[in-house]
Amino acid sequence: MKKRLGIISLFVLLFIAFIVIWNYSYYQGRQEAYIPIDNNQELPTIASEIGVFQRSEYALDYANMPIDEKHQRSLETYYDNRAFYGAPPSIPHDVESERAMGDNSCLKCHNNGGFTEKFNAYAPVTPHPEMINCRQCHVPENTQGLFKPTNFEKGSVPVTGANSAFQGGPPVIPHQLQMRENCLSCHAGPSAPKEIRVTHPERINCRQCHVPNNKVIEDIGIFKRSNTNE
Amino acid sequence: MFTSMTNRRDFIKKMARLSAITAAVSMFPGILFAEEQERGLPKGGNLDWKKAPCRFCGVGCGVLVGVENGKAVAVKGDPKSEVNKGLCCVKGYHSVMAMYGNDRLTKPLVKKNGTYVETSMDEALDLIASKMKETIQDHGKDAVSIYGSGQWTIPDGYVASKLFKGCIGTNNVEANARLCMASAVTGFLTSFGLDEPMGCYEDIDYADVFVLWGNNMAEMHPVLFSRLLDQRLKRGVKIIDFATRTTRTSMAADKSILFLPQTDLAVANAICYEIIKNGWVNTSFVEKHCNFTKGSTNIGYGLEDKFAFKDKPEKISFEDYKVFLEDYSPEKVEKISGVSAKDIKYMAAYYGDPNKKVMSLWCMGMNQHTRGTWINNLVYNIHLLTGKISEPGNSPFSLTGQPSACGTVREVGTLTHKLPHGVVMNKEHREFAAKIWDVPVENIPSKPTYHTVEMFRALDRGDIRFMWIQVTNPMVTMPKLKRYRDGAKKEGRFIVVSDIYPTPTTDIADVILPSAMWVEREGMYGNSERRTQYFEQMVEPPGEAMSDTWQIVEVAKRLGYEKQFYYKEETHIEEIYTEYRRHHDNKKHNMAPLEVLKENSGMQWPYVDGKPTKWRFNSKYDPACSNGEDFHFYGKPDGKAIIWQRPYEPAAEEPDSEYPYWLNTGRVVEHWHTGSMTRRIPVLHKAMPKAYVELNPGDAKRLQIQTGDSVKLTTRRGEIILPASVNQRGVPAPMQVFVPFFDENMLINDITLDSFCPISKEPDYKKCAVNIEKV
Repeated sequence: MKKRLGIISLFVLLFIAFIVIWNYSYYQGRQEAYIPIDNNQELPTIASEIGVFQRSEYALDYANMPIDEKHQRSLETYYDNRAFYGAPPSIPHDVESERAMGDNSCLKCHNNGGFTEKFNAYAPVTPHPEMINCRQCHVPENTQGLFKPTNFEKGSVPVTGANSAFQGGPPVIPHQLQMRENCLSCHAGPSAPKEIRVTHPERINCRQCHVPNNKVIEDIGIFKRSNTNE
Repeated sequence: MFTSMTNRRDFIKKMARLSAITAAVSMFPGILFAEEQERGLPKGGNLDWKKAPCRFCGVGCGVLVGVENGKAVAVKGDPKSEVNKGLCCVKGYHSVMAMYGNDRLTKPLVKKNGTYVETSMDEALDLIASKMKETIQDHGKDAVSIYGSGQWTIPDGYVASKLFKGCIGTNNVEANARLCMASAVTGFLTSFGLDEPMGCYEDIDYADVFVLWGNNMAEMHPVLFSRLLDQRLKRGVKIIDFATRTTRTSMAADKSILFLPQTDLAVANAICYEIIKNGWVNTSFVEKHCNFTKGSTNIGYGLEDKFAFKDKPEKISFEDYKVFLEDYSPEKVEKISGVSAKDIKYMAAYYGDPNKKVMSLWCMGMNQHTRGTWINNLVYNIHLLTGKISEPGNSPFSLTGQPSACGTVREVGTLTHKLPHGVVMNKEHREFAAKIWDVPVENIPSKPTYHTVEMFRALDRGDIRFMWIQVTNPMVTMPKLKRYRDGAKKEGRFIVVSDIYPTPTTDIADVILPSAMWVEREGMYGNSERRTQYFEQMVEPPGEAMSDTWQIVEVAKRLGYEKQFYYKEETHIEEIYTEYRRHHDNKKHNMAPLEVLKENSGMQWPYVDGKPTKWRFNSKYDPACSNGEDFHFYGKPDGKAIIWQRPYEPAAEEPDSEYPYWLNTGRVVEHWHTGSMTRRIPVLHKAMPKAYVELNPGDAKRLQIQTGDSVKLTTRRGEIILPASVNQRGVPAPMQVFVPFFDENMLINDITLDSFCPISKEPDYKKCAVNIEKV
């Protein structure tokens, strides 16, 4: 009997000790005043590959889809909606809620697209559905009037059809890739502007052949060979 | 997409050339046929991308401005900027359009017999200088003043301070940051002895919980808010919106807690009460690094002219502090704040949990507050009691509203009591500044003169006769505006306004100077996280428009201060910045040299041994710590931060039977402050064409008001009619209304109250009593 009590109390003690030590070390472990920080975190100069394959599950559908010529967008309407080439597009329709985040409203249509009876058009698909504060950058037009006229001039836009190194070469990517890594969202499907709609969406690994034109994105100068003998 | 082959021969020729190139490249690696490769590629015309900090808010996003044929035509986020990593907001993306409104001021205008007459820049500057001389002769030095801005570049503010404080010898230098960041400054100074946040934006990447104190971040600091949302996606962090009004931020937050105006003071104390009661105090941290102090109470609201206040700090013990907190149990606070005891305990539990890193964020909700300094102190108390401060992720973080409120107003010190290093009251600080400025030390008066509200009161009274206003629009932004507009229009006042567009402020001017804005000139801004960012001149300013810096330099020369204003026109920005750096030449505040600013997307100060200091007061990151401990709050003589005993006190004007509603004012995502720039950007104006009054749906139903109906708002200052907005952008709590202040056609500030925090002298735009009725 005594022996048994002894063993039980030993285990109880061990258990209590375990709890105490575990608690102590758990609390100590998390309370860290110093987190080693890499001070010279390099920001990548090569655009992220994240998202290239994001919509690839729809690629075959896109390839097999007949083109709805009556409702397709063109680059003209595409640029109409932007203050300049590269500007975030404004919202050409009324918005249901002034207050909601995009995940409960905008993304209902703009995550996957599809035909909308109300606007008689295909909803464009966003290339960055993970960013849900949509109205941070995209605003509607609530009036047509201006506060004061503007002298702002839109810059030039890249030409389509003459965008390859040589005839027959794969066209290069003339725009910044950040937030637009997901090629198929704009270049495939019924909402893609006809001029930039890809003929071969099923090939999904877009950047195997199409590379960004870094000259436009940032001037990297002419390459000079460094003398390795010195 | 495809260019069809014209003919077979052409194709073969091209293929042959390509294979030759390919062969050459593989045989001689390193050789690149650049011309060959780039032929046919769109060059984007002559598009040139140049980096700058964004013109608008205090976040200080890095943007790339596309310049084509001498004009700015496009903007994109700078992916290399550590601030925004390539993302902007709608204002930033369209910012360049602010330079091209067709009513840009391009020539100086002088008021003659009630109408404005165009004149040359030389003549206008001559007139300003002679008027200043005349005013000083007739009314004394303290009758001339300059009122600047947190949108001043660093050189603008520096030459203004040097001219007025160093050369002329008056402390009549103020800036609109008094209306937006003064409480943050006094909060830092009283708690830590040194201004500006200890942490930085990188804290967002480490924190587990974010508490937003009266801060509609989704609209006002959208780029940083998107960083929070990104972290929630990646790490599942918690966002708590603690506010008086339901906004986009509340919708995005994991939890939205509403409190009654002004009662944040009580709730913050209740959180401290819970922390102590539950034993969540980090005892060793508090013992080593904190003192307890109490200040004066019933400190007034500054409503009367020449109001004066001086706090009387008194050391107390931890025990005294605990006794004080007895009045702030969650159950008691529930009754005044409208926040349930459960919600108070919920917030306290996150602050108290040693396993959670907590970041508190706030901006105008806490700063534009008649007890602004106190509520800043109280939030620091929470972080100090739990030791959650100055570590990655544990960070009380005061956000800024303007691009250089920190860089110019707070660091250069364009406030009446400040010098670039230190304060005018301190003899050593005056001597130090006078030496660098090359002026006799007697020039700098040892007494501060007028803070902003008092400066406009002095203009009304006639104590100030000359005022130069740059980069700001006080005739939209001053509280109780009517008094100050009438005062400025009185006989015998001479007002100079430097701006880029006609505004309600240029309407009261005797001389209007056309300014060069943002990238039409060279300069630097300093953002919320102590980051100084440089921008070059990218386009020519229109007409005779001139930078604010050079306007002041030209006037200074005309006043006879050529020796102090020796700068050459081509290199003056560099010369001024280099001279300015000498004021901060120490481990606690060293600024990075100009070359470093040019090479990087800005650099954080203190910049020591070629490295920025990301977390101040933490010896692991901050080389200025010298006490051998983990933390050193070296802003205070004994190296200890202060936990302040600050009670809850009511607002200056609370709703009563005659004026039963609270009136709150603020911004919207589309417009920057008074809209003088953003309303001239078509995209933004079309999205948000005019101001409105937001009502609670319950109140609206009772008063039978629908969206679009005209509503009359009446306060003790006057009345204004606005269209109603029910259940749209924001939803105020019952018996509260909200009005954005950007619209110069509906000046809400005509009816706001000019009460201010007696310590910071920052007005409270968020609270006064109003009556509403359907028209």
